[in-house]
Amino acid sequence: MAASRGGLVLKAVKKIMIQFCPFENNVRSTRDFLTMVGSEKARSTNINCEVTTEVKHDKSEPVIDITFIDGERLVMKGAKLTTQEMLSALQARCSAKDPQAKAAAKK
Amino acid sequence: MAATLCSRLFPRPGWLPLAQSIRHGSKAVTRHRKPVHILKKKLMAITEYIPPKPSAPPGALAPPTRKAEQESGLVKLLKKDLQTVFNECKMVAVVHNNATNSEDMLILKHRLHRHNISIKFFPHQVMRSFLAGSRYRNMEPLFIGQTALFVSKEPKVREMLQVLRGTPQMVLLGALIENTLLSQQGVVGYSRLPSLTSVQGELVSGLTMMTSQTVSMLQHHPAHLSALLQQHLKQQQTGGATEPAATEDAPKAEEAA
Repeated sequence: MAASRGGLVLKAVKKIMIQFCPFENNVRSTRDFLTMVGSEKARSTNINCEVTTEVKHDKSEPVIDITFIDGERLVMKGAKLTTQEMLSALQARCSAKDPQAKAAAKK
Repeated sequence: MAATLCSRLFPRPGWLPLAQSIRHGSKAVTRHRKPVHILKKKLMAITEYIPPKPSAPPGALAPPTRKAEQESGLVKLLKKDLQTVFNECKMVAVVHNNATNSEDMLILKHRLHRHNISIKFFPHQVMRSFLAGSRYRNMEPLFIGQTALFVSKEPKVREMLQVLRGTPQMVLLGALIENTLLSQQGVVGYSRLPSLTSVQGELVSGLTMMTSQTVSMLQHHPAHLSALLQQHLKQQQTGGATEPAATEDAPKAEEAA
C-alpha cells in the first residue's frame, strides 16, 4: 500500500483506542483493522499517534475510538463491519482533514 | 453460362442436380465459407459422436465419495509438537502482535529467555484442528490474525507481564495456566496472588488462632493467670453467683499454679 494514495495517512489522527473481547466470534474484522493500523507503514506516517488496545472479557462489542487532532471523534462499532469498510471510512476522513498539507507539499 | 445450364441442372423443380461439377468454383482457401463436399458431409454425418445414455437418471445413483484429505507429514509433525507443548508447559499465553520488526522480536526473545519463556509460532489451521480434537476447544476463537504463543514450564506471569508492558505492539489475549483458561484480567489477578506456601501458612494460622491463644495464655506467668481468674470471680460475685463455687475455683487455680 503506497503511503500517499492507497494507504493510511494518519497525520491528522491523535489517538486510536481499540477495545474488544477476544473470546467472541465477531472480532475478526476489528483485529484485522488493528493489524493494519499497527503496521509499520501506517505508524511511520505519524509517530505521535498512539495506538492503544484494551482486551476485555465482558462479551461487549468491539469498539474502535479514533480521536483526531482537531478534536473530532470517530467511533466505529466493529461487530458487523468489515475491515475494508472501516479502513475506507478512516481514510476518507483522514484525507479530508489533511488535504492542505498534502496539496501544498505536492505543489 | 448459368442460364444455359439451368434446365440441365434442375430437371424437375425441388430436386438436386444429377451432375455436380467439382472443378468449377473457388480454390481451397477462400475468404467465405466454402460449402463442404458432399462426400465429406456424408462421412461427417456418419461419424458424429453419440454420447452413451446412462442406464439410470443421474439422481438415482449414489454420489461419488470424495477421498478424505490426508494430513501431510508436516502437519503431523507440528501436531506432535503442539501436543508436547501442551503437556509439558504449565503456562501457554496467546499474544496478538501488530507487525513487530525483527529487532523488536530479538529483544523480546532475549528478555523472555532470561525467564525461560520461549516464543512459538504455529499455523492457524494446524492449531484449530489440534484444538478441536483436544479438550482446549475454548481457546479456538483466540487464534485470528497474527498470533504468537509464549510457552514456559513455570508459570512466571509477573515477569511476562512486565516484558509485555515494554512492547506495546504485543497484546495479551488469554493464557492457559495450569489447565485453566484465563482472560487478560484473570492473568493480571493471577500475578497478584501470593505464593502457595504463604497462602498455606495463612490458612493454618487462621485455623489454629483460638487454640494458640489459649496455649499462650496458659504459658504466661501463673500470677497473671491467677489475677485473671480472681478478676473473673469478682465479676461473678457482683453479678450474684454462688460463693461455694467461687471458693472451689480459687484452690483449683492455686493447685494448677
